[in-house]
Amino acid sequence: MAEFNPTILAFCCNWCSYAGADLAGVGRLQMPPNIHVIRVMCSASVKPEYVLKAISGGVDGVLVLGCHIGDCHYMTGNHRTAKRMPLVQKVLKEVGIDERRLRLDWVSASEGEKFQKVVTEFVGEIKNLGPNPMREVKW
Amino acid sequence: MNDLGKKLARLAFEERGADFLLAMREEHGNVAPAMVSKGEDVGDVRLEVPYQLVTILENIYPWISKGKIAIITRRCDEKALAELAKRKYVDDKRIIKIGLACTEEQIERCRCEDPVPSHVDVGEPHAAVKGDELSARLAKMSQEDRLAFWVGQYKKCNKCFGCTLTCPVCFCDDDCVLEERTFVAEPSIPPGLSFHMVRSYHMIDKCIECGECERACPAEIPLLTMRKLLAKDMKEVFKFAPGDEKTVSPLNTTLEGELMGDECDEC
Repeated sequence: MAEFNPTILAFCCNWCSYAGADLAGVGRLQMPPNIHVIRVMCSASVKPEYVLKAISGGVDGVLVLGCHIGDCHYMTGNHRTAKRMPLVQKVLKEVGIDERRLRLDWVSASEGEKFQKVVTEFVGEIKNLGPNPMREVKW
Repeated sequence: MNDLGKKLARLAFEERGADFLLAMREEHGNVAPAMVSKGEDVGDVRLEVPYQLVTILENIYPWISKGKIAIITRRCDEKALAELAKRKYVDDKRIIKIGLACTEEQIERCRCEDPVPSHVDVGEPHAAVKGDELSARLAKMSQEDRLAFWVGQYKKCNKCFGCTLTCPVCFCDDDCVLEERTFVAEPSIPPGLSFHMVRSYHMIDKCIECGECERACPAEIPLLTMRKLLAKDMKEVFKFAPGDEKTVSPLNTTLEGELMGDECDEC
């Protein structure tokens, strides 16, 4: 059987995590190519609906990356994210999808290495979890 | 006018000074919600039909600019009114609550854990029911079985929007994301898992577990069980339960508990 290559969406905030991802790229840090980066203005503009739609549509994992708490460009944007994402995980858990398919982490603009670490870890975790069961479900 | 109608009319208009009374009444053999002004014939009031009158109140409230409205409230209606007042959809001072205690069968049907209103005017208070049989069964299931169960249930959905229309705390009116193509493809029936997950998420900090979605659902999806499970999670994560006017939803506060402004809709 061919090796399972997960599809992973990474929502990166414009001010920190996207710059962090950029730094990781410029620094030529090696990381798995499974992630698709989506640039958003703030991690709070990642509506829970986007995450839920992605996962119910068969995406294997969703990574939400924002600035560290206190560093948000919009003051309290990432506070919103920090409160929402645990609840989104609960919604996934109750329906029967592994909550580890969604991960929230903080990566600042200078943390290219942390970006690499988070992505590598997350891809490894999703590889262990296997494909999203929603891929098989026909509506 | 039946005896109950007389009693309620006296209670609402004479004792509590209301200008309108919102209740369920029987006309030509059908029971439907009705709004009666002071001095009008109240008619045959029926209380045995469970229905969230708060949903009706919420819809007609913008058209009633003055006067006090008396409404029959069960415990869940009371909580729904608190959630609405908190978000400034209704003015609490203009609402007169007439407390109604649910019957035992109704409590049984809703698996209700908090059935007695703060002030009982009509009916006999009955004890709460502990636990929900289906959620206990779901808790024992493996993750795959649980997904199979819910997918099987949600496949019955025919996207009638009954759950959103009858929900007393579903108040986004015209800009409901579930009616947008972005999240639910227009021709798709059943609407898929995202429809139900998005709705579950939206209800998580306001669902007052009235069970109206489950009663309205023509496909008999156990929606109330899902709401109850998530209410338990909400309590676990943020120690918050909806239905109290004084507490603010944790989704509207910062991590330190300070109130945040309204969400930006631009991005």
